[in-house]
Amino acid sequence: MVSVINTVDTSHEDMIHDAQMDYYGTRLATCSSDRSVKIFDVKNGGQILVADLRGHEGPVWQVAWAHPMYGNILASCSYDRKVIIWKEENGTWDKMYEYTGHDSSVNSVCWGPYDFGLILACGSSDGAISLVTCSGDQQWDIKKISNAHTIGCNAVSWAPSVVPGSLIDQPSGQKPNFIKRFVSGGCDNLVKLWKEEDGQWKEDQKLEAHSDWVRDVGWAPSIGLPTSTIASCSQDGRVFIWTCDDPSGNTWTAKLLHKFNDVVWHVSWSVTGNILAVSGGDNKLTHCSQAVIENKNLF
Amino acid sequence: MRLKEIQRTAHPAWSPAPHHPICLALGTSAQQLDASFNTTAALEIFQVDFADPSLGMKLKGSLPTSNRLHSLVWVNFGAGEDGLGGRLIGGSDNGTVTVYSPEAIVTSGAEAIIGQSDKHTGPVRALDFNPFQSNLLASGANDSEIYIWDLNNFSNPMTPGTKSQPPEDISVVSWNRQVQHILASANPSGKAVVWDLRKNEPIIKISDHSNRMHCSGMLWHPEVATQLVLASEDDRMPVIQMWDLRFATSPLKVLENHTRGLLSIAWSQADPELLLSSAKDNRILCWNPNTGEVIYELPTTNQWCFDIQWCPRNPALLSAASFDGWISVYSVMGGSLEAQQQSRADQISSSFDTMDPFGTGQVLPPLQVPQPTPQTTLVAPLKKPPKWVRRPVGASFAFGGKLITFESPKAPVQSPQPVPVPRQVFVSQVTTETELLQRSRELQAALQSGSLSDYCQAKIHKAPTDSEQDIWRFLLVNFEDEARVKFLRLLGFSKEDLERKISTCLGKNLQPNGHGVDANDLAEKIQLLSTQVSPGTNLFILLYAPVVLDADGLISQALLVGNFEGAVDLCLNEGRYAEAILLAISGGQELLQKTQQTYLDEQRNSISMLISSVVTQNWGDIVQSCALDNWKEALAALLTYAHPKEFAHLCETLGSRLEGERTEKRCLQACLCYICSGNIEKLVECWALQRDCSSPLVLEDLVEKMMVLRKSVERLRNSEVAVQSPILADKLTHYAGLLASQGSLATALSYLPDTSDQVNTTSHSSSDTLSTRTCFKRVIVLQRPRVFSLLDRVQTCILICKYYSVTCQTLLQTGLDVTCLSPVCSGFSPLQPFQPQQQPMSAGLGGPGLSAFPPGPAMPGSSLSGPPLPPFSAPGGLPTMPSPGPPPSGFTPTSLPSGPMAHLQVPPLVRTHPWDLGTHKEVLEPRPSSPSLLRRLLLLLQVLTMMQFMCCFPNPMPTSNPCVSLQLLQALPAERVEQREIPTEHMVLKQTFDSLVQRCQLAAQDPQTKRKLEDASKRLGYLYDKLREQTLSNNILGGLHEISRCVAGQNYQRGLEVHTAVVTSSNFSEIQAFMPILKVVMTIANKLGV
Repeated sequence: MVSVINTVDTSHEDMIHDAQMDYYGTRLATCSSDRSVKIFDVKNGGQILVADLRGHEGPVWQVAWAHPMYGNILASCSYDRKVIIWKEENGTWDKMYEYTGHDSSVNSVCWGPYDFGLILACGSSDGAISLVTCSGDQQWDIKKISNAHTIGCNAVSWAPSVVPGSLIDQPSGQKPNFIKRFVSGGCDNLVKLWKEEDGQWKEDQKLEAHSDWVRDVGWAPSIGLPTSTIASCSQDGRVFIWTCDDPSGNTWTAKLLHKFNDVVWHVSWSVTGNILAVSGGDNKLTHCSQAVIENKNLF
Repeated sequence: MRLKEIQRTAHPAWSPAPHHPICLALGTSAQQLDASFNTTAALEIFQVDFADPSLGMKLKGSLPTSNRLHSLVWVNFGAGEDGLGGRLIGGSDNGTVTVYSPEAIVTSGAEAIIGQSDKHTGPVRALDFNPFQSNLLASGANDSEIYIWDLNNFSNPMTPGTKSQPPEDISVVSWNRQVQHILASANPSGKAVVWDLRKNEPIIKISDHSNRMHCSGMLWHPEVATQLVLASEDDRMPVIQMWDLRFATSPLKVLENHTRGLLSIAWSQADPELLLSSAKDNRILCWNPNTGEVIYELPTTNQWCFDIQWCPRNPALLSAASFDGWISVYSVMGGSLEAQQQSRADQISSSFDTMDPFGTGQVLPPLQVPQPTPQTTLVAPLKKPPKWVRRPVGASFAFGGKLITFESPKAPVQSPQPVPVPRQVFVSQVTTETELLQRSRELQAALQSGSLSDYCQAKIHKAPTDSEQDIWRFLLVNFEDEARVKFLRLLGFSKEDLERKISTCLGKNLQPNGHGVDANDLAEKIQLLSTQVSPGTNLFILLYAPVVLDADGLISQALLVGNFEGAVDLCLNEGRYAEAILLAISGGQELLQKTQQTYLDEQRNSISMLISSVVTQNWGDIVQSCALDNWKEALAALLTYAHPKEFAHLCETLGSRLEGERTEKRCLQACLCYICSGNIEKLVECWALQRDCSSPLVLEDLVEKMMVLRKSVERLRNSEVAVQSPILADKLTHYAGLLASQGSLATALSYLPDTSDQVNTTSHSSSDTLSTRTCFKRVIVLQRPRVFSLLDRVQTCILICKYYSVTCQTLLQTGLDVTCLSPVCSGFSPLQPFQPQQQPMSAGLGGPGLSAFPPGPAMPGSSLSGPPLPPFSAPGGLPTMPSPGPPPSGFTPTSLPSGPMAHLQVPPLVRTHPWDLGTHKEVLEPRPSSPSLLRRLLLLLQVLTMMQFMCCFPNPMPTSNPCVSLQLLQALPAERVEQREIPTEHMVLKQTFDSLVQRCQLAAQDPQTKRKLEDASKRLGYLYDKLREQTLSNNILGGLHEISRCVAGQNYQRGLEVHTAVVTSSNFSEIQAFMPILKVVMTIANKLGV
């Protein structure tokens, strides 16, 4: 059951491309083809424009909130090939960092789990994925995976830092060795998994099932169950759910969740990871409940 | 950006959109020769594999053909389910139209030609297939010949109408993209004719007055049915004209930029704002035909490009075929060209070496091939992003089950002026677990109103299974008087029934002997019952059995002489136990016990066991050794006899045994035992053992029981029961997470285990023994980070919603400091494990009267462990000390060290003053370490840091050196001893607020409010601390005094207004420790009308 509880009139002058709530669900960031990023205070059903961020020279595709422990930080990416990281200081939003290392439209930005520090993954139409890490006071460290997806990367999404299965097998005492991992989708119809080894990013897995551009990927939040889950959606109208029960993370099985008649633009997991919101070309939203996802185990 | 290229002099055709992977068919062009002068012809299919970063394409199949082609199309007709296959149709030089099967070309090459027709007399330059019916194909050739072919019946083409006069070449045919029976044809003279195939006649003719148009291309608008574009090959008029049939006298727009005649145009079906054109000026331009603007120029070679096509499947791709013999695939998305591209000239030159067609041995001079720029590094994308990358819709989840959605409202297509449209984002609440929410509301209502009996009753009625019903009955009993008797009845043991049965059995009318439990009497009843339950055991009635005095001389003699001992021995020897016992009764207490013992030692049946237990009051044996099938009897016996002090323990022992069997039935029975004993933790563990509680409703089932039992225990003990065990905390957290995800934040918060420690001032009622074990335990249940973040999120979300213009940044900054502390702990010397310190029940604090402590600031400091305390300024009526745990709402340590800190349970910190760290010293002595200890220490440190934060110590804790910080922590108490007094001018604040809390506490009825007020007293302490330190700004102080005046005048409404004003105008970090609670108190006061 979905009931609208608040309607925010963004006054964007062109198409809206992304809208994301902050960690607490009290602030809304939107971005648009009008080259602006706006932040609204939406608590208690209200709508107060907090900031209208100008700096991009092209349509802004995505926005992403960093974990609040680092402050109020928002990243935005644009067709102008730039990624801008904005930060609120004393109630004013300002550019914190501008990353211009891509040669084409930057289509997706996603902050890593807060355990890894302030780290941002950016996927671009130039086929590369950049990992931008804040390594200190205004120092930013860049790692670039060139040609991650031929003719373009459309989406990136981080794996949760919770070790799969931690709910069941309590690691006794010592801090488990977290591996930074994320998933990406691109115009080569592939879903790829990446992981960091000895400070280097390596392709871990290549998942093939889509027959057209992968428009979005979403790594489901983990609640400590042994299964890792990824959703991917594509131009071909298909939404796949990928799961891996294997602790080494090598065996992924795909299950076709649904085939839509139109392009599927976006997938989004609920915070608890049991509902997936799928937005397609006809903006018909579909939710798949945990029940559906559980069926994959039979698969 | 060029992605692929191949050297062919050919007409390309993309595979249709459903075809995956993307292929490109190349048919050798007519009237073009490359440097090899090769005159053979072929139809080749290449796979365009973008996973391969090289520029090459993979040849999938090739078919030699007899004719060279003027035109080639690939239609979806005849394709399989997977989109593979279809048909390739080629129009050749000599008028032949041939239908090929691409599948056959790829597989074998045999039977690749499906149909062929030579109806046309001249070169077939124009081919197009109907976008609605892919079996319909239009072709155009010399002499105004246009045919419509049906691929189902290829031999018999039809004509769209009578040939237009005078006969002219047909250079292009094109089907309308919106209306399926409309076809247009154009000829080099510049005329275009629109045919209606239903009427079989031309319906309109378009002709430019200048007559200089030489049509090389014509395309219908992808979305507007009445519009089409014409491209002119004439160098004098290198333009694209856009026509609208609604106004067909002159072109709507003329796109001018090329300097020489156009050769080919292509209109993107994915974005009507992209129209490609190639011309003899060597340029390939991309237009926005609606504005007439050139939005992109492809970085191409200096060659005429005679054919340009968008890829139907991947909208960013286009193919361009140039007269220099190269076919290239470009992307309009830009990117950087790597050095991967080899020099073309080299390739070409080397190819001549091997193909020396004239056999002269002479290498041909290199063709005038443009040298590729050495490093083409960056290729810009389209100025305006194409439609297919502009995401029009989106739906993203946010915390609390919220869904953020937006869509792009459809703008009217044909409106010339952009109409402003509202750009809205919707925030929706997603609830998937309606039943869960409904039930959680019911539970919440019951918990708050306290009408739990009714709730249990309702549950009993609704219970789907008997066992479920049983459990609810048992839970219900806990809320009633004489619980034990009622438990007995539920187990099937009714006193009245028993008495009746016994009388029937004995054939005489037995008078009920009142309510007093007479051991013997009941033993008999139980015994009788047992015999009924398990037939086959000996019926042995202890006292009421008819006694016939035996005539045995010896016994008589002994009796006669008063030698009871001898008589008893004799009887026992004879196996005449009844007599023995009877005699023993007369022989005195000592003899009786001895006799009982002897008797019981000798008896080995089940009843004797029971009797033994009844007589000796040893119930441990029963619960340890009874057959599990007799659990009911065992439990009944416990309910009847067990001493209140042991009862709970015995029930649990029985429960554990049942649970140990691990069957569902036994677990249910064990649950009943735990309900009787009031052990929530065990109940939950046992319940969870048999069920997967990850499903929401199952969890709801459990939580309902958990909370109801907890309430009943609370009712018995007359105090709150803290969530202590990890499993409870875990389940509740999970439950809260579910509720939060469904948007029920406030309720979720009420279930979340406090990260703060809770002090149980358990009333020590003699009638209730359950409490003894949980006295004085202060437990901090710290969960995994997930839990932390959940609590953090829920609290903060609610907090933020309550207070406007508030930033948590300062808080979070402080949270960061805590993190900084964490890693250094790993360098710590090993530590002794924390033992839960069992505090002896000290006088005064644990007493039953505690909760009703008379209002007053004095705390019985002497009863506290640890060094004497400075006078503590606890407001009146405060039964508990402020504890180190509870952070001010809003401050929650988001920054716990990462990693699954599973079930971290900080050792119960002994009841101490927050600043009294003396008690921790003993814990911090070096001892062999284990990682979990480190974790615990770490947590302790965090707790301490939190304290430090909350208490606003003037000295910030150094974080650089762990040892220093620890030392400092230990030194802190001393510092606190020199506590300053509240400045006199501010004493009025303390007086007013304390008295307000007091008044509220007196008036408050429901436990929730009471709890809040208790908390309030605690938190106001932070305010007083600040006052002492004189760290508050004048603005805040002024506000506080204003509030105090309002409170004194009982004008709470005004007080709240002032409060809001203060909060919005102040630094949140300065006031967050006490301002929220002040508001709560005023709200309560307002409600209570005190």
